[in-house]
Amino acid sequence: MNTDRRRNNAPAGGTTAPVFARTIREPGYLQSLRPSRSRGLNELRRIFLQTSIIPSASGSAYLEIPSSSAPVTLTLIPPTSSLKITASVQGPKPLPRSAPFSPSLLLTTTVKFAPFATRNRRGYIRDTTERDLGVHLETALRGVIIGERWPKSGVEVVVTILEGDEDGWWGDSGSEGSASGSGWGLLNVLAGCITVVSAAITDAGIDCVDVVTGGVAAIARTSDSGNSKVVARLLDPCPAEHKEIVAACAVAYLASRDEITEIWMKGDCGQDTDALTEGATHSAVGSLAVVKEVLLEALQAKFQGQLEASEGSLKRKVGDVDMTG
Amino acid sequence: MAPQQAALVNLSPAELSFLRASLAQTPPIRLDVTKGPRDFRSMRAEYDVLPGANGSARIALEDGTEALVGVKAEVEKTPQRPASGEQEDVEMHDEEVGEGAGKGQNSWVEMSVEVPGFREDDSLPVFLASMLKESLLASRELRDRLYINRRFHWKLYVDVLLLSPALSYPLALLSMTTHLALLTTLLPALKSEKDEDPLFDDDWDAAVALYPKAAGKSTDKPPVIILAMAVGPNIIFDPCKEELAVADAVLAIACTNSASSATGARIVSIRTIDPPSHLTPPGIPNSMNSATGGTVPTSSTDALTQRELLATSGVWTPPRGGMKRTLVSQVTKMVVESGGVAEEVISALAAIEVG
Repeated sequence: MNTDRRRNNAPAGGTTAPVFARTIREPGYLQSLRPSRSRGLNELRRIFLQTSIIPSASGSAYLEIPSSSAPVTLTLIPPTSSLKITASVQGPKPLPRSAPFSPSLLLTTTVKFAPFATRNRRGYIRDTTERDLGVHLETALRGVIIGERWPKSGVEVVVTILEGDEDGWWGDSGSEGSASGSGWGLLNVLAGCITVVSAAITDAGIDCVDVVTGGVAAIARTSDSGNSKVVARLLDPCPAEHKEIVAACAVAYLASRDEITEIWMKGDCGQDTDALTEGATHSAVGSLAVVKEVLLEALQAKFQGQLEASEGSLKRKVGDVDMTG
Repeated sequence: MAPQQAALVNLSPAELSFLRASLAQTPPIRLDVTKGPRDFRSMRAEYDVLPGANGSARIALEDGTEALVGVKAEVEKTPQRPASGEQEDVEMHDEEVGEGAGKGQNSWVEMSVEVPGFREDDSLPVFLASMLKESLLASRELRDRLYINRRFHWKLYVDVLLLSPALSYPLALLSMTTHLALLTTLLPALKSEKDEDPLFDDDWDAAVALYPKAAGKSTDKPPVIILAMAVGPNIIFDPCKEELAVADAVLAIACTNSASSATGARIVSIRTIDPPSHLTPPGIPNSMNSATGGTVPTSSTDALTQRELLATSGVWTPPRGGMKRTLVSQVTKMVVESGGVAEEVISALAAIEVG
C-alpha cells in the first residue's frame, strides 16, 4: 500500500528479537525473565518533561517515561520499554496564497515513529497506525485550541516518537496469545503524545481553553496461584508487565472543565465503561500535575532571563553614560 | 494543508444557530422532523450479492449513500519460529480439545476501506479501517476460528467499498454492511485432520459459517458501530451531515451482543470523532457589524473581548472543549442497556438474513 518507491528499503516484515539457545533448552527460563508490575495499581510511572528544546520551533517539548522495572543482569534484552516523545509546534503562520479560505486555525498533526523506536523496525513512510494516531491527536487538540481567533492561518504539530511502548512482552511474541498487533502500547503512546503536545502548544503561546493531558487505564487479568482469574483495574499500565490485558482506555482530559476531548477505548469492555474512563481521567490528572509544574518553571526561567537581560542592558547603558560623561 | 473534511456543509452561521437551537430543545426537532432522537435513517439491505466472495452485503441509505462489502478467505501458511515451535509441541498434547483456542493472531484479518474522493492513506479511510478492524479483533472468537492447524490458517480479507461519495459520516453505514457480510460469510468445510495439509469439502452446502448460529443459544456476532452525537443536553443517534455540523461532540461506539444474556450488548470499542462543527465559521453579531448599525471593534483585543461576551447570545460560535464525563456514560448506557440502541440494530440486521 504505502510503499516507498524512491529508495531500496529492507523487507517489510522486519526482524524479531533474537532467540537464545538457553530459552529452548530450559522451558522455564524464558518465563523467569517475565517482568511484573512493582508499582501499586493506582501508581503512575515517573514522568520527565521539558519545554523549549527546539529553538527554531515556536513551541516544543520532550517527554520521557522511564521503564519502571529494575534492569535484569541475566539477559541483554531490556524487560520493558520506556516512552520517549518529542513534539514541536510550527506556527500559527499564514496559509499559502493558493489555499482556500479557512475561518479558523487549520491544525495539522503528524505523528511518526522513529525507525528505531520499536523492536520491529518502522519504515520512513507513515503507516496506518501512525496516521491513526495523528487523527486521534488532532481530535484531542481541536476541542482545546480556540481556532476562530486565527482565521486564514495554520499550525503544524509534529510529533516524533523516539521510543514507543510495546504491545506486550517480547517473550510472548510469536507464541499463542501473542499481543503483537493488539495495540495496547499505542494507547500509552497516544496519552504521552497528548501530554507533550499540550506542553508544546502552551510553550508556543497558542490560546487554549485549558491544559489538556492524556491518561491511560486498563483492565488486566492476573492469574493467581489457584488458577482463579482476578480482574483488576490499573492506572498507567505497562503492557509488557501484564500477561493479558482485557480492555484499555486512553483519554484526553480537561481537568478544570471536567471534560473529555478524546476517548479511545478498546478491548472487551463489557457493559459498564465508567470505571475505565474514570481511571484514565485520574491518570490524566496525575500527568497534569507534572505539566503544570514544568510550565510554571519554564515561565519563571523565561522571565528571570528577561529580567536579568534587561538589568544587564541597563547597567551597560549606565556604564556608557559614565564613560561618555 | 488543505481542509480534509470533504463532507463539510455549506451552512451560514445563522442557519447553524437555528439548527442547533432546534436540536437542543426538549424534545429535539431533527432535520427530518418525523424522526425521534433514537431513530435511524431507513435503508435497503441485501446480502450474498457477490458470487466471487465468501460473504458479501450491500446497504443503501435513502439519501443515496451506498456501501458494498466483500469478505474473502484464503488459506495461508503460518510462519514457524524455533522457540515457540518447541514449546507448542509440549502443550499440544495437553489440550487437544480446545482446538484453536487462544491461537489466533491479529494479523490474520486484513481490512481495507475505499472512499471515493479520498486517497487510501488519507486520514478518513485510515481512521475508518482501524476502527472497524479494532472492534472486529476485540474478542478472541473470530481470530481463533481462523485457525486450521499448526501450519495453516485462514487469512480473512474484508474489503469495504463506499460506492457513493461520502455524503454523511459513513462509519455507521460501513460497519453495518460489514456486520451483515461477516454474518453471512461461509468457509469451506475442512476434511483433512489435524496437521495434514488442509483439504476442503467441495460441497458448498456443507460449508460452515464464520459466525456459527446455534438455535436457541446466543452466539457471538460481529460488532456494529453506532454513531451518537451530543447537542446541549440531548443525545441523538445516527446524525445526518447537517446535524453533525452543529454537534458539541460525536462518539462512535462499537458493540456486539453480550455473551451472558440474550438482551443488552457489550462495548468493544469507543472513539471520539472530531465534530466538523469546530471548523464552521463564527457568526458576526449586528453590534459588531457596521452594515447593520453596529460599530466595528477598534482593536483586535477589543474584538476578542466582544466575541467572548457573545457566548449565550445565540450568535453562532463554534463549540469549544469536549464532552462531560457524565454525558459519555449516559451515551454508553443508552447504547448497551437491554432494549437499547445496539440491541435494536443487531436484531434488525439479523432479521435481514432470516428473510
